[in-house]
Amino acid sequence: MAITSTVSADGNQVTIYIQGRFDFSSHQEFRAAYEKLPKTPTHFRVDLQGTSYLDSSALGMLLLLRDYAGGDKANIELVNCSADVKKILTISNFEQLFTIY
Amino acid sequence: MSTTPHLDREILTTLKDVMESDFMLLIETFVTDSRERIRNLHELVPQGDAEVIRRAAHSFKGSSSNIGASRLAELCSQIEVQALTGNLDIIPELLAEAEVEFTRVTTLLQEFIAVG
Amino acid sequence: MSESRSLTILVADDTDSDRLILETIVRKEGHRVISAKDGLEAVAAYEQERPDIVLLDALMPGLDGFGAARRIKELAGESLVPIIFLTSLTDTDSLVKCLDAGGDDFLSKPYNRVILQAKIKSFNRMREMHATMLAQRDQIARHNEQFLQEQAVAKQVFDNVAHSGCLDASNVRYYLSSLAIFNGDVMVAAMRPSGSMMVLLGDFTGHGLPAAIGAMPLAATFYGMVHKGFSMTDILREINGKLKTILPLGFFCCATMIDMNFEKRRMKVWNGGLPDCFIYRKDDLSIVPVRSTHLPLGVLPNKSFKDDCEHYELAVGDRFFMWSDGIHEARDSTGEMFGEERLRAVFERNRQPEKAFDEILGSVQEFIGGGEKNDDLSLLEIVMDEPHKVDSVARETIFRRYSSLAEWDMCFEIKPTSFHAFDPLPLLLNVLMEVPGLRNYSGTLYTIMAELYSNALEHGVLKLDSAMKDTPEGFTRYYQEREARLREVSAGYIRIHLQHSTSPGGGRLTIRVEDSGEGFDKSNCSAEGLSNSQYSGRGLALVDKLCDSVRYLGKGNEVEAVFSWVNDD
Repeated sequence: MAITSTVSADGNQVTIYIQGRFDFSSHQEFRAAYEKLPKTPTHFRVDLQGTSYLDSSALGMLLLLRDYAGGDKANIELVNCSADVKKILTISNFEQLFTIY
Repeated sequence: MSTTPHLDREILTTLKDVMESDFMLLIETFVTDSRERIRNLHELVPQGDAEVIRRAAHSFKGSSSNIGASRLAELCSQIEVQALTGNLDIIPELLAEAEVEFTRVTTLLQEFIAVG
Repeated sequence: MSESRSLTILVADDTDSDRLILETIVRKEGHRVISAKDGLEAVAAYEQERPDIVLLDALMPGLDGFGAARRIKELAGESLVPIIFLTSLTDTDSLVKCLDAGGDDFLSKPYNRVILQAKIKSFNRMREMHATMLAQRDQIARHNEQFLQEQAVAKQVFDNVAHSGCLDASNVRYYLSSLAIFNGDVMVAAMRPSGSMMVLLGDFTGHGLPAAIGAMPLAATFYGMVHKGFSMTDILREINGKLKTILPLGFFCCATMIDMNFEKRRMKVWNGGLPDCFIYRKDDLSIVPVRSTHLPLGVLPNKSFKDDCEHYELAVGDRFFMWSDGIHEARDSTGEMFGEERLRAVFERNRQPEKAFDEILGSVQEFIGGGEKNDDLSLLEIVMDEPHKVDSVARETIFRRYSSLAEWDMCFEIKPTSFHAFDPLPLLLNVLMEVPGLRNYSGTLYTIMAELYSNALEHGVLKLDSAMKDTPEGFTRYYQEREARLREVSAGYIRIHLQHSTSPGGGRLTIRVEDSGEGFDKSNCSAEGLSNSQYSGRGLALVDKLCDSVRYLGKGNEVEAVFSWVNDD
């Protein structure tokens, strides 16, 4: 399990990459990836290309991010979802809360 | 009369360098060997076998040329050619000439050794 | 002085003074001299001492130089013994005679030391080159012999692997040229437990051993999985992944795989890189080409591997032809290739479909002509037949040998000492991936198992309260607390019960998770869990959606989820 992130030059966009299983064990790292930035970004991307599995605690973590990013005004994209990951997100009605690719 | 030298000094000098202490032995061997060859040719000529004469002359030619006895080698070569063409009559004359030349060469070789 | 090593040189001359000169020159060059006074002595000395180079006077009493040269060359056999004739002969005929007798060169009288030196050097080089060449030739011959032996063994091993299949079934005809496995062609066929037949034709890039090596894991994977009932996409993925891992970059396997279902008269085809296959319709003698729509096996990582197949309805008597490019690329004496046009023409001329197979082979062989070998041809024909006519013998043996584990049941209990250190999910997921049909659902199964296990552990064993997770800080505290309690837990258990059964066309997995806790509040589990905006409470609702049914047993400390699936073929 590894979380890495990159921030755009202007500091407005952060991309968080999640490798392997996405669950509570990466909770601290996941929060650190967006909370410990010098400037709060306006645009968030979570890249799930390397994510093999996720469970409901991961969904909770995505919601934490959403609230941090402004709740209903949050601008968050979940990108590169595999079929399995997309299925879980869809079942959980997350497409109403996030932009999912 | 041929202008070929009796002894090719260059060949002889080279041989002396190569043979070093064996040079004397070489000369002695050549002289003994050649004496035997002339004696042998005297025996063969009356028997009239051209091929046997030719071979004997050929070998003699080879050893003479190796030692630098150029005119002797030339005489042997003439005997070889006459034997090959079956012209045996002229051979005793050539053999006598070769014998005289050999005596001459022997003297010259001794002189060469003496001079050093 | 001489740069080469010291040689042994035979000097044969009947004239003492000549021999003396030569011996001295040769010795001064640093070589060892053996002397002979005539031809017979020379031959005897050669036999005894095996000198490296021979200097031979042409005219000698007894056996002359020519005769001695012949004998010495005979004795030398394959090894090169340079013979240099010593001669005052000058006429062409005599010199030719020297060469005819096996002489390699001449040295004329009076001897010239420099020339002799040069000749010895040059002939020694030639001799050494010859010796090296002989040694290398012998080495090549030994290697080749070993290689042929290894090939024979490899072929036997390969045949043992490949012939466990049903290429000999009544509805299959194949032609695989005898050396084809070393051309990288592989052909495997097997019956699935369901009675459909899977056939794969592969053509590895390259030739020889590197190409043949990949065929082994391909065949082993194919047979192992087909007999257990895995689907075509599972098998293709497994083979692709395996080849991707083991083959060096640039090596891959063009392949076509089919699954012919005789009951439903349907066929699935996946073609990655092989020439168009043909479906040959019995009714109207038409051809339906099946194009390659994928990259060959072993090119892409499994993540981007595409496993979508073409589906075709077939009538009894319809035929499916597949081939490696050896047929298209067969050349006639002018170098022209057979090509697809000629292949199509064979079908256009054909009036009796059952003879098409022979007509293809015949046309190709006629085109190539008599002299050429056609070691690259691989041709396969599979006919759609009535299920009961498809070789029942082959099927039964396969069933006896490979009938898969259709019904099973397992219980896995985690004890307190293991909770902290051990995560049972990867292990259990691995077990489930051995079930044909479940591979496509690994993500879903992981989520189901993870939710059920987390609930049992966090609420049943660790007695954590989800309400904690209502705020971001609480969410963090919850997991900190979880970690702390896990380290200290000393009582409790979780039992995971998995039960598998097959159903027509699919299967059913029952997952029961029981914990040592007080029981679960069932009201917490509802579909509404998914529409709230809380950070938690979503888990069981998710399981409910993913499974056919979820129910609670006992006092609520036991949950049972049923997951059923239909095979994708």
